[in-house]
Amino acid sequence: MSEEKKIVHDVIMIGAGPAALSAAIYTTREDIDTLLFERGVPGGLAAITDWVDNYPGFPEGLAGLDLANNLQKQAERFGAVIELGEVMKITDEGEFKKLETTSGDMYARAVLIATGSDYKKTGVPGEQEYYARGVHYCATCDGAFYRDKRLVVIGGGNSAVQESIFLTRFATHIDLLVRSTIKASDVLQKDLQKFVDNGKITVHLNTLTDEIVGEDNKVVKVVGTDKATGKNIDFPTDGVFVFVGLKPNSEFVKDLVDLDDIGLIKTDANLHTSVPGVFAAGDIRSGATLQIASAAGEGATAALKIREYLDAREHILE
Amino acid sequence: MVKNITIFTTNTCAYCAMVKKYLDVKNHKYDIVNLDEQPHRQAEALALSGAMTVPVTVVTKHDDTREVIVGYNLAKLAPAVA
Ligand SMILES: Cc1cc2nc3c(=O)[nH]c(=O)nc-3n(C[C@H](O)[C@H](O)[C@H](O)COP(=O)(O)OP(=O)(O)OC[C@H]3O[C@@H](n4cnc5c(N)ncnc54)[C@H](O)[C@@H]3O)c2cc1C
Repeated sequence: MSEEKKIVHDVIMIGAGPAALSAAIYTTREDIDTLLFERGVPGGLAAITDWVDNYPGFPEGLAGLDLANNLQKQAERFGAVIELGEVMKITDEGEFKKLETTSGDMYARAVLIATGSDYKKTGVPGEQEYYARGVHYCATCDGAFYRDKRLVVIGGGNSAVQESIFLTRFATHIDLLVRSTIKASDVLQKDLQKFVDNGKITVHLNTLTDEIVGEDNKVVKVVGTDKATGKNIDFPTDGVFVFVGLKPNSEFVKDLVDLDDIGLIKTDANLHTSVPGVFAAGDIRSGATLQIASAAGEGATAALKIREYLDAREHILE
Repeated sequence: MVKNITIFTTNTCAYCAMVKKYLDVKNHKYDIVNLDEQPHRQAEALALSGAMTVPVTVVTKHDDTREVIVGYNLAKLAPAVA
């Protein structure tokens, strides 16, 4: 491709979750030409979270979708452009980074990777077969189909507990299957206890999930194992929600930047990755604290460090 | 040519908002069936899509053929309303 035909942006951000949208507010306010790529929903995981109680500045809390929309509006107000598409590959060409995207090849002087994580699957028999027909990963999307029904939720972290509580709006009863012990925050555990006390949620600790079983095209039960006794237990249910952790969205850059053992991107204190001009922020960054507020904070830091990087390059090029 | 579009949604579904945003940008009008407000219409959404999820977007063409798009899937939605 000839130099003239290259579409070059000052910075391309991959993902439009809280980290990248916050970064974009900062870069665009400083007139740094900023393009974001988003393959799902702007707002990222925050957009599909029912209610956010711990984002500073909102004493009553707010709906995740409202927070996502506000972040998007604020970034767009200063000129951020969000392209709905996916980045498949980044190549370091020195001064420019080449991005292969669903909208064609793009070039950027700096790149911010803020791709967060996706839900992990359990891998048990029946999970794939009944996907979206009894097995789900998004309570705010699919919970309404389980009004007055029984549910099983698999997982023991913050998401599993928070989403179980959300699902009590619809379901008559929830069996929460936890492989070892509950790892959710103290606040969430206290909330959970209220639903255990009123009989809406039953927690089964040290319980492995072995299979999701269906009949006549419908999920009818989950088969688990009690680790203490080794005995199989049947959990009759109409549906299963899976929240067994998150898988970093870093596969597409695994040959470019240094990753840690679980696939998160390593950065220095300036959020710079092992490749000059490529930064990472939010849930995808090794050491991140997996909160919307910290993702937003990291986004702001990354933006300021990107500006410093671009300024320094300009001096070199002059 | 598109005759009408119906979207099955819920109050909390972010992907539903994306489908609406896309259709707004493309100047398409659509009817909404909110399953939180009209739970009795869930079976209809399920029968159309075969999936217990929203959004379900039903695009009816002028020749009365119908296309059903499950989820926020631009690869299918864009050509269906083009
Ligand atoms: C159920 C649940 C409840 C939560 N509740 C809270 C809470 O109450 N309070 C709180 O502070 N935090 C909460 N969190 C955590 C919070 O949502 C995350 O920490 C935050 O969203 C991280 O922001 P991010 O921008 O780093 O990543 P994300 O929000 O994950 O956004 C990343 C975006 O990148 C996109 N993307 C990925 N790969 C590509 C690619 N190759 N090309 C283009 N786009 C791509 C994704 O589609 C996604 O939209 C919750 C998380 C979950 C799962």
